[in-house]
Amino acid sequence: MSYSNKLIDHYDNPRNVGSMDKKDAQVGTGLVGAPACGDVMKLQIKVTPEGIIEDAKFKTFGCGSAIASSSLITEWVKGKSLDQASDIKNTEIAEELALPPVKIHCSVLAEDAIKAAVEDYKTKHGGTADDADATDAADAEEARSA
Amino acid sequence: MTPAGVTACWSCRGPVTAGDLFCDTCEAIQPPRPVDPFTRLDLEPGFEVAPEHLDRCYFDLQRRLHPDRFATKTSRERAISVALTADINLAYETLQDPVKRAIALLEMQGVTIHAEGCNTMSDPVLLMEAMEQREALAEAETSDQVETIAAVATREKTDCLAELAEAFNTSDLSAADRLTTRLKYLMKFEDELRAARIRFSQTT
Repeated sequence: MSYSNKLIDHYDNPRNVGSMDKKDAQVGTGLVGAPACGDVMKLQIKVTPEGIIEDAKFKTFGCGSAIASSSLITEWVKGKSLDQASDIKNTEIAEELALPPVKIHCSVLAEDAIKAAVEDYKTKHGGTADDADATDAADAEEARSA
Repeated sequence: MTPAGVTACWSCRGPVTAGDLFCDTCEAIQPPRPVDPFTRLDLEPGFEVAPEHLDRCYFDLQRRLHPDRFATKTSRERAISVALTADINLAYETLQDPVKRAIALLEMQGVTIHAEGCNTMSDPVLLMEAMEQREALAEAETSDQVETIAAVATREKTDCLAELAEAFNTSDLSAADRLTTRLKYLMKFEDELRAARIRFSQTT
């Protein structure tokens, strides 16, 4: 049962718990909930001007599977591009943690949280990823000339 | 053609409607049919249910339908009374819980319920409030701080219940759906407050 050990490990020693300044232009915030169980999950990513996720933090109030799912996904997204992060499927999380069927929705929550965080970051930077890159480049230009 | 929902009594073939417990013609007990919990307990559908009125209806029905009263009847009638009693218990539990009651009312009006199933949602205002409330509780260091948070939460729940009643009274079903989800979060937070109180009572 190595998989359930992974779940317990992430629950007992959750990685990347914490918060970032949601007003920071480099930060994207995803806030999602599972109304059936009253869970709430906040997932934040810090993105480099090149569009790579350099850091991720989460805060989850919910069951052990929700905490483990968000802990795992923060580990996975670090070093990924925004599109790669958005492509993570809940089934991969569920499989990695060997979530029981009744807890599959916890992995759905984590998938939706990262998608929401990427979406928030893109919105901050003009709506699309391409625009975000352009804005970042402009920002970097500005920073250099300043 | 019989009117909708009317079937024949199993005993005398007389007409019975879905919510009928007994046949009007021969007074035989009727097997339970799928009805909403309000019909089951013979109550007017609505979000505001006075607990004492609900209890009275429930205990009255339990008295009339208790399997002991059918001890001298046929085995079929005894089995029906057992099944009806179980149905009535379920309806009572549903109507006692405000979230389940709201969900039942929404379902009766054909609304897809958001507070059920494994869907996720992004209602930023509600989620932000839920997150801040839980963060404050997680950071509370004294039982006084927990009680301050609890007092606010109690007030919010009271307000939410009143708003939900208003939404149902004015048939504003989208507001009722949204408020049902909010109530769900507020009631989950009550559980978390209870757990926090136990933690503080053990450490002090």
